[in-house]
Amino acid sequence: MLIKWLFKPLTFLLMLSSSQAYALHEGQAAPQCPSALTDKGQQLDLTAYQGKVVLIDFWATWCGPCQKSMPFLNGLRNERHKDGFEIVAINVDENTEEARDFLKAHPVDYPVAFNPKGECPGIFNVEAMPSSFFIDKTGKIRKIHLGYRDGDQTEIRGQISALLAE
Amino acid sequence: MVCRILPKLLLLLIGVVGSQGCSPVAAWERGNLAKKEMALDPNPNLSHIRDHIFTSREASQGGRANSGGGCGCN
Repeated sequence: MLIKWLFKPLTFLLMLSSSQAYALHEGQAAPQCPSALTDKGQQLDLTAYQGKVVLIDFWATWCGPCQKSMPFLNGLRNERHKDGFEIVAINVDENTEEARDFLKAHPVDYPVAFNPKGECPGIFNVEAMPSSFFIDKTGKIRKIHLGYRDGDQTEIRGQISALLAE
Repeated sequence: MVCRILPKLLLLLIGVVGSQGCSPVAAWERGNLAKKEMALDPNPNLSHIRDHIFTSREASQGGRANSGGGCGCN
């Protein structure tokens, strides 16, 4: 009797808990992110980078490891830019002004887009901050790198070199 | 009739209200949680020093990983 009485509410609760996002995985085509706006207020168009190796970096000013990764990423980008490598950073700060102030103090050479409402990290199903998506020349996600530590530099550098060599 | 439906509705209401608290905070939505004032311990260094003094003076090890046996020299 008790089980019968509890069946409907429990089913309802299970239905609520079963709604989950499906993560992007390696080998899948990189989705578009039109909700992210570039510095000039234009929609971010990732197809413009087709034929290049792209690292999409999700970052925020409140994220320590993100800040720590930026000088390294900027250096790597400048080092391999001539070989067809580009970084597209997507800032997810709720207050975009904080990100702009940060970039004034710590400028980077790669393009930065802003997505304060977080639709874009939702599409990419970002699981950690920072998250780096390595996109190959055909526009496919080849590697998803979560977080950042100084020890990750060799791995990131090697991954980019391998993709550029393809 | 009302008495039969009421418990079910009540349970449903509790379930719906309870499920709101289970909503996960996405990785990119933790800006406010990352603020200094949101930390459980706003001054970890000060707390560590005070804890060290306390355990030294009380000749106890306390609940944290402190070394020393009460002389206050470690």
